[in-house]
Amino acid sequence: MDEAQLIEGIQQGDRKSFQILVETYQQMVVNTCLGIVHNKADAEDLAQDVFLEIFRTAGNFRGDSKLSTWLYRIATNRSLNFIRNNKRKRFWQSIEETFAGGRNNNREISENRSDQPDHEITDRQRKEMLHLAIDKLPEKQRVAFTLNKYEDLSYQQIAEVMEITLASVESLIHRAKKNLQDQLYECYKKKCV
Amino acid sequence: MKCSNIHDDLIFYLDRELSDERMEAVQKHLDECADCRNFLELLKQQMQLINAEKHPEVSPYFFTRLSARMDMTPEFKVQRSSWRSIAQPAFFTVLLLAGISGGLYIGNRAYTPKKNTNASVNPLMIDDFSAEPIETFLLDEL
Repeated sequence: MDEAQLIEGIQQGDRKSFQILVETYQQMVVNTCLGIVHNKADAEDLAQDVFLEIFRTAGNFRGDSKLSTWLYRIATNRSLNFIRNNKRKRFWQSIEETFAGGRNNNREISENRSDQPDHEITDRQRKEMLHLAIDKLPEKQRVAFTLNKYEDLSYQQIAEVMEITLASVESLIHRAKKNLQDQLYECYKKKCV
Repeated sequence: MKCSNIHDDLIFYLDRELSDERMEAVQKHLDECADCRNFLELLKQQMQLINAEKHPEVSPYFFTRLSARMDMTPEFKVQRSSWRSIAQPAFFTVLLLAGISGGLYIGNRAYTPKKNTNASVNPLMIDDFSAEPIETFLLDEL
């Protein structure tokens, strides 16, 4: 089944066509979401939301871009919305904790780590450091960097997904790498790993 | 070359995105500076972390869970194709019109007007002129 037939099937509500679409692209969508949200369970939930949106809005797909481009676009938008919503929740939670006296939690987490082998702590710390550094990137830089590094998309493909020029993609990725490097260097100087 | 200048380029050096001249200059500095080499090593490890965590194994029940979510959501249960959304109301409209037309036709066929045996005579009306001439009537009055 080619893309046009798949989309036609989904537009007619055919579950079999939808299943083929999901099985073909689920890895790609989950991976894209994971690059932005850094949590596998959240990435899978978001990927499901992406496919539900595809099923719901298949009638709007005009076929002027590739199906994968459309999927990437929805996946990145959903992932960014998820992060924005989480930030808001965490902000209100931190205010609540401040008034409810929940400041002891951080100390408890660091004490638990002493039970684990050193290499596991280092791996986890390195991952956290990397994710924190990526999370601090501005949204567009983050999306461009994720699509390039997690999905190995070319700059041209990223330009199609983000609906920007090739020059803009080059600039975004250049700045993303620079910002990432600066943050990692700060960590290196403080010997956080 | 100063370390601060090199630090700006290391991530691009890793991806081989510098000019040949610049790549040589950075390599030359790295050969002499342990601190920059250590930072480059850290950068390499961080980028390798991305390679390690990308393309995770997706749950084998991914579509099953998705299907279950769709079955629980009313809007996905009644998913009609565009041609069905037109054909069904059109069919019922045709059926309704056929019913009305059929009823009218049957009603018209059932009404049969009554036949008159003697069309000129209306038994209820009395023809005064033929029953009694006018002159005789006037004479009678006088």
